[in-house]
This record gives sequence, structure tokens and C-alpha cells, in this order.
Amino acid sequence: MTELSDELLVAYVDGQLAPEQARGVDKVLAQDGVIAQRVEALKLAHGRLECAFEAILAGEVGEIMATTPTMPLPVARPRGNGLVKIGVATVVTGLVLFALVAGYGWPLGQQPAAVAPPVPLSKRVEMEPPSWQEEVLRAQALLSRASVEVGLESQDNFDLVAFQLAQAIGPAVKLPKLQAQGLKFMRAQLLRFDGKPLAQMLYLGAERAPLALYAMRGGGKTGPLFRREGAIGSVSWKDDGIAYLLAGEEDEATLLRLAEKIKHEPAATEPAPPRKLSDVSSGAESIGPGAADPMITGSNPTVPSPSAD
Amino acid sequence: MLPRLKRFADVLVGEKREGKALLRRALKRMLADQQRYQWGTPLDRWAFTEIYRLWLGELRDHADPLRQVKPTDADFERLFRWDEDSNFDALTASFLGHLPPQQRSTLLLVYGEGFDHEDAGRVLDSSPDTIQARLIRACASLADRLGSSAQAPASPTIETLYPAKATGQP
Repeated sequence: MTELSDELLVAYVDGQLAPEQARGVDKVLAQDGVIAQRVEALKLAHGRLECAFEAILAGEVGEIMATTPTMPLPVARPRGNGLVKIGVATVVTGLVLFALVAGYGWPLGQQPAAVAPPVPLSKRVEMEPPSWQEEVLRAQALLSRASVEVGLESQDNFDLVAFQLAQAIGPAVKLPKLQAQGLKFMRAQLLRFDGKPLAQMLYLGAERAPLALYAMRGGGKTGPLFRREGAIGSVSWKDDGIAYLLAGEEDEATLLRLAEKIKHEPAATEPAPPRKLSDVSSGAESIGPGAADPMITGSNPTVPSPSAD
Repeated sequence: MLPRLKRFADVLVGEKREGKALLRRALKRMLADQQRYQWGTPLDRWAFTEIYRLWLGELRDHADPLRQVKPTDADFERLFRWDEDSNFDALTASFLGHLPPQQRSTLLLVYGEGFDHEDAGRVLDSSPDTIQARLIRACASLADRLGSSAQAPASPTIETLYPAKATGQP
């Protein structure tokens, strides 16, 4: 008779063994009736446990369905700006929890609320604030090849930037000029979210952190919606098939005012290719709306653009 | 997800009324401390962890945990709802009812929820090896009982099946 421990046999029954190990046990089972009998008993135990837990779940479902009013199904909303989705994750979590409590409200009124103090455990599991590495990994996921394929010197040419953004996001995308609001365009880059291009346009004022305008393809037309996440405020809206998110360390009124200004900006450019990359990157013959503005382009154009502010 | 959370609380406590109260307190605490939720963490894992933490914390805060009233066999059997086609599995129900709560919860998370050992260990603040040891002890014991089902009803002697190994876990 072969000696195989219950540890090994339980792992075998639970499917925890490597394929090679499982094949080895199979060979033993074919030759040793006692071991095979033990495996059958363990399989039976495994199956009985699964059935028992299913029976408990059936009881819970039946009880909750019988004693609580039907919870409204979540309304299917059109897919929005991915950045907004990230920003409201915490809010969604709260709403889900609230829905759970609301759907389970029947014990709330029956028993005194005795909320225990937080429990300090020696090992906090997944509940710690995210480390810098985790935050960076999330940011890294936004990077794509397009993020670095354009050299920084190309940022001096507003037209080239506008052309690339229009090609990636759509001809209606805005690359606003906000120098009248004290914000200088610094640079733009293409990120990605959920496999789709995501434009990031960065502006810098006299003080505070940069202000960022994000743009991504997204249907519909919705009004501006303000949210705050810590020190970062944001306004999101959709316009002409583009979803925008304006984010920065600004107050609500400032962000809403900027969003309104951006909404009335003309589209960045038509998706027509610049004449020659070498000419365009030098800034000698800019053709876009920001061509005449050295504050924006960083260039020194000789011919003022009629569409400049 | 609510029935799954309720099942976890009930199995942990061993009866419906206290399980319901535990879940209610846990949900309220999660709602109050929702800022501790880390984006990207599966919500069910977080909820199971919070329920277990609350239960363990209250157990530790109890003046004399050993003198707490244990649920009866009848209390535990009321957790089950068996279909008309399937007979009530009294042996398995009794077996589960006499297991320590941590071991019962381990079985639920792995065999009922389909968690792997790492995820179950995170919820129950235990190592994967501990989870594995609990599964082995429970399955081996139940298999023994199923093999000799005519014998006496289940009892907590399951914890002494492997005295030499002394895994040190309930």
C-alpha cells in the first residue's frame, strides 16, 4: 500500500496540485484501492461542504427577498469619461455601501446601533492608504508610446500639438488658450485609458500646481459637473463628442469659469497635416489659432494669426 | 452581494439573529470609514475582511470570551434551506456547526466563495499555510465521518486529528 498524506490528497481533490503532481497521484489511485477510496471520501466531503454552503446562501436569498422591498436596479448610464470614473470610485463605493445598508435596513430599526471602535489588527490587509509605488503604477498605466514619441521641443509648436491632438481625439477637441486667465500653455501629451487615447494639456499659472485639461472621445453633451478629491478640484463635461476633465488645485468657481471659457473656444485645428515637420517644429510658419501667441507656442511667429485672441 | 455577506456573517457567528446584527454593524462601520477603502480592491473582499475584523475585535473586547453563549445545533441548522429535491444533510450541518468559527469561515471562503488560499488568508488575517491546514483538517475529518456515518454525531475533536503536527491554528 502506498502512503499518501491527507495533506496531499486534499490538495489533489481541491485542484491545488501542479499537473505533474496530479498525474502522479492519478497513477497511485489506479493501483491502490485504499488510497482511491480515501480520495473518494474526500471528494464526497468536498461536495457535501459546497452543497451545504449553497443551501445557506439559498436561505439568505430567500429571506432577504421575502423581507425587504425590491431594491431598484442600478440605472444603466452611458459610458462617460474614464477619468471621471477614476475620480468617483470612492463615491461609488460609498453609494454601494449605502445601498447595502438601505437594502438591509430592516435590522437597523430593530436593534440599537452599537458601532464598535475600529479594530487594530497586527496586519492591515489592503486597507492601508496606497503607497507611492501603487500610485505610480496607476499613473504608469496611463502612458502609451504616443506619450513619448513627440519630443519636448515639439511642444513649442502649438499647431503641431493641436494637429496631433485632433488626430488622436477628434477634430472637435479643444486646445484652449488661457493666457488671459493667467495660465500659460506648457505642454500636451497623449496618454491612454482603457486602450483609448487620452489627451493631457498642462497649463501653469503664477503659483500653484499645474492645471490639467484632459480630453477623450465620449459621446453626448452634458453640463459641467464639479467634484473635489482632496486638494484637487475638477470639472467634467462633454461637448461635440469629446469628454473633458479640467483638474487642478483651484476652487469651484474658478474651475467652472475656466470650463465655461474652454467650452466656447474654437476647435484646436482641422485634422490637416502640417506642411513639413521640420518647418512646423521650428515655429517659422505656424498655421493654427495659437500661432501668433508666443506665450502659448513658445515660438516667435512673424505673421499674426487672424484667429488669435 | 448582500446574501453572500449575510451568509459569511451567519456562518461566522453560527446563527441568524447575531449574524444579522454583526452584518448591520459592519455595514455601518464600512459606510462611516469608506475612505479606508482602497480603489481597485474587490468590494466583496473588503467587506468580508471588515466583517471578520469587527467580529474578532468584539471577541477580543469581550470580558470573558470563553463564556460567551454558543449557538445551539438548532440555531445553526436554521441557516440552511434545502431544496425539496435534496434531503437535509444533517451530518454535514452538524459537523459545520461544531467547528470553530475561524475554521468554518475558512471552509466557506474557499469552498463556498471559491477564494484561493491567499485571498481567504487576507480576509481572515491568516497565512495561506494556515488556510491550507484548516482545510485539510476539516475535509479529512468530514471524510472520516462520512465513512462511518453510523457512528456518534460530530464533535469538536476534529482539532485533535493531527496532534503531532501542531499547526497551532484553531
